[in-house]
Amino acid sequence: MLNVAFVGKGGAGKSTIAGTIARMLARRGEPVLTIDSDPMPGLSVALGLGTPEAGLPDDATVAHVEGDRTTYRLRMTPAESIEAYAATGADGVRYLQFGKLHGHVSLGRSQAAFRHIIADLPRDQWHVIGDLPGGTRQPFFGWGDYAATFVIVVEPTAKGLLSARRLARLAPKGEKRRIVVVVNKAREGDAELVGARTGLEVIGAVPAKEHFRDADRAGVAPLDHLGDVAADPELDAVRSVLDNLLGKVVVQ
Amino acid sequence: MKIAVVGKGGSGKTTTAAVVARAMARSGRSVVALDCDTNPNLGLSLGLGDAGTDALVTLRDSLDEGTEEHAASWAEIIERFGVDAPDGVRLAVVSRIEEPEPG
Repeated sequence: MLNVAFVGKGGAGKSTIAGTIARMLARRGEPVLTIDSDPMPGLSVALGLGTPEAGLPDDATVAHVEGDRTTYRLRMTPAESIEAYAATGADGVRYLQFGKLHGHVSLGRSQAAFRHIIADLPRDQWHVIGDLPGGTRQPFFGWGDYAATFVIVVEPTAKGLLSARRLARLAPKGEKRRIVVVVNKAREGDAELVGARTGLEVIGAVPAKEHFRDADRAGVAPLDHLGDVAADPELDAVRSVLDNLLGKVVVQ
Repeated sequence: MKIAVVGKGGSGKTTTAAVVARAMARSGRSVVALDCDTNPNLGLSLGLGDAGTDALVTLRDSLDEGTEEHAASWAEIIERFGVDAPDGVRLAVVSRIEEPEPG
């Protein structure tokens, strides 16, 4: 099962690629849970959900008071919590939102629910695909800990490369953790360039073509824009990133 | 005059801020450019290059390491920890995340 978090500079294309990969996987009949801790609504748009209310309400948790200390535990099992609170997006992808707080929902309870669901989620039941906010503030401050693989989405600009090197430096280290790069808005030769400049493994390069940009301008998912174009080079590149993550092919 | 540039990631905040800062400096104003992003790239857009941008000491670090009993004035802090960018813009970086921390 995939257990992946997408990170990168703001505007690199994390949400678009993460959402598209989630849907491609779901179309193959796999159960996919997406986790959105970015307050910007990118992932939900890629999943055809617009800007939904899919956060964890206060009653997802039960308060336990011991002396002057209050802790929060899940009211239901992680699987039941997902069933109850995750929105269902296009292609059957489930979607849970953590980064945005609506109205009365309390930060402490919402975060506690998030951490419990992530910690105790049966990993053999769901592919987990997470989208983190741009930049370096959130990704490695506990929010991305669930991931076995970090995908750094890099636009091949000086800022994109510098940000990628910072993210790689900050990523939690561990023998079982894998850090890879997907180049977005790439021109010919950019996969090699980004690999050389970051020292990281590049598992794919999404070319700078019109399809993703047109979809973005229209505010719809690339997979829903002008239908599912069978031979679209951007979608083909994302599909090959998915295959790489699943261990089906080795690119480069 | 104090201007803050905000917007979605990748929309061009940093580039815009840098061009405005240098254009104002060229017209003879004294300009301080403050990079408040925890992934600070303003140095790149101002023309300091890769190494110059990543080597900047952040104001937060400079204050954390300080031993003075009273905080210096903002002008003194900018003077001591800022760097000169092209066209006479004085750049200071507020905070860069260097270590993953819990929470």
